[in-house]
Amino acid sequence: MSIEPVITLNNLRKVYTVPVREGGLRAAARSLIARETRDIVAVNGVSFTVAPGEIVGFLGPNGAGKTTTLKMLAGLLHPSDGSARVLGYEPWQRNHDFLRGITLVMGNRNQLAWDIPALDSFDLNRAVYRVPRAQYMRTRDELIEMLDLSTLVNQPVRNLSLGERMKCEIAASLLHSPSVLFLDEPTLGLDVTMQRRIRAFVRAYSQQYGATVLLTSHYMADVEALCKRVIVIHHGALLFDGDLTALVDRFSSSKTISLQLGEAVPHMDQAAWAAFGERIDDGEDSLIRLRVPKAQCAAITGRLLATLPISDLTVEETPIDQVIEEVFAQPQTDIATQEART
Amino acid sequence: MRDRIALVGTYMRLAVLNELQYRANFWGSLLEGFLGLAVALGSLAVIFGHTDNLAGWSAMELLALVGIYYIMSGYIQTFVQPSMERLLRDVHKGTLDFTLTKPEDAQLLVSVRAFAVWNLIYVLLGIAVVVFALARAGDAPSTGQIVAFVVTLLLGGVIVYSFWLMLATIAFWYIKIENILVIFQSMYEAGRWPVGIYPPVLRLMLTFLVPVAFAVTVPASALVGRVSGAALAGTLLAALGFFVAARLFWRRGVRAYAGASA
Repeated sequence: MSIEPVITLNNLRKVYTVPVREGGLRAAARSLIARETRDIVAVNGVSFTVAPGEIVGFLGPNGAGKTTTLKMLAGLLHPSDGSARVLGYEPWQRNHDFLRGITLVMGNRNQLAWDIPALDSFDLNRAVYRVPRAQYMRTRDELIEMLDLSTLVNQPVRNLSLGERMKCEIAASLLHSPSVLFLDEPTLGLDVTMQRRIRAFVRAYSQQYGATVLLTSHYMADVEALCKRVIVIHHGALLFDGDLTALVDRFSSSKTISLQLGEAVPHMDQAAWAAFGERIDDGEDSLIRLRVPKAQCAAITGRLLATLPISDLTVEETPIDQVIEEVFAQPQTDIATQEART
Repeated sequence: MRDRIALVGTYMRLAVLNELQYRANFWGSLLEGFLGLAVALGSLAVIFGHTDNLAGWSAMELLALVGIYYIMSGYIQTFVQPSMERLLRDVHKGTLDFTLTKPEDAQLLVSVRAFAVWNLIYVLLGIAVVVFALARAGDAPSTGQIVAFVVTLLLGGVIVYSFWLMLATIAFWYIKIENILVIFQSMYEAGRWPVGIYPPVLRLMLTFLVPVAFAVTVPASALVGRVSGAALAGTLLAALGFFVAARLFWRRGVRAYAGASA
């Protein structure tokens, strides 16, 4: 690649040593004297690179190692092994120039002071990041405009709704105009409208400032809307790195056929449908949905059209969150063999 | 350096704004300050009803010591304790992450973040008591005594801060240790009296284990002209030692910090 990547991970690994003890009073008493510990491999040799301006979705089920990886990249954790570079720096050295170039937004944690207006907290970040006042005013007003915050920033933060607060949190995290954004579940707990607004903002921000974004989210809609490329980790290891569409192709083994019958067909009971594919509709209205193996989709569609009085028929890819769910549901060994096969 | 002072100023302004929301705290601090003082004066009156000298301290000298105890309490409760409690909360909740991703020395940031402005009342009360005690005692302290007092008081402040920081830093390994700060508070109570009145073992503990002696007794001794050059040098060394130890311990703690939940 001719463009120097902004983020590079090379075989990054993190092992936590955690105390373990059996339940019960005796075990608890024993652990006061000698703590037994166990090693948990949170991230097990992950490598990838991210080019400037890319928005990458970083996916994995709970406990897959996403947040641990993000924390290492943001300089909060020392890795157990391997190396990483962000903006040319080793993150955990916490060089101040590096820290001025990044930001970390966590949907489940907030940094704004609770009892005072967000505007006052913004001023604190200006001072910490040493943003020149003129530039600060410009950036601040731009962010207020983009996120539609003008009526919110003057109220004590505790009076804001969750979504409003999150928008203020995001603005506070961007006042120093970072070029690398680590967004950890930025839309957590927000309603659909607010999720959409935050998504639109992230896209606009990245375009306007050429910022690189690494985003984790449990809402596939976030990922579909923002990320062309996704990186999937599972059990601490890299499972997939590529286009979102390629992910669907690779991991989805089925398609969904939706059809409507022009007239009632009495002999088509559950067993009869099963000959075509798996019924996945709720059976309440006239729409019938069948899950069929991808490879046989064309043949089954042909048979359906030939044998039944069909008034309407569509074939769809399996929805992305269903695909992801299937991927995450696989136990570790299955994934390993799948890796080996492909 | 000027940037840093401006930064601390911004933090304090914000903390004051935050605190101004809770006007009731002002009346609480005021009431508590006067009640505590009344109790302290009462116990002094009881003791000096029986004797006119306690381990070499006269009544007015002891009253000045009570005033200094108040000044130091005010400092602790205004600056040190709120910041350290906030640090413990942040470690527990994982919000310390935001501090550690800021391009500024994290120890500086955690140390100036909270500021319970109303507790400055204790400092004012303490100063009033010291001035009153000195006026009643008759001879005004010499310039040298005042300088020695101010210097030892400042060093005592550094020592107390370093000690609290070390206590709070333990949270990096044990996550939930809010109770640990009580260690200081209960031992600090002993500082109402000159450490000289305690048996040797306790005196040693109050000097080096929980540095109450440096916080109150040494500045009080300096004010009444009963501190040797060696004791002054010792205080300076202790301040340096505590500060450096706290700094090193803090750095190890930050390295060990993993953030609450992965």
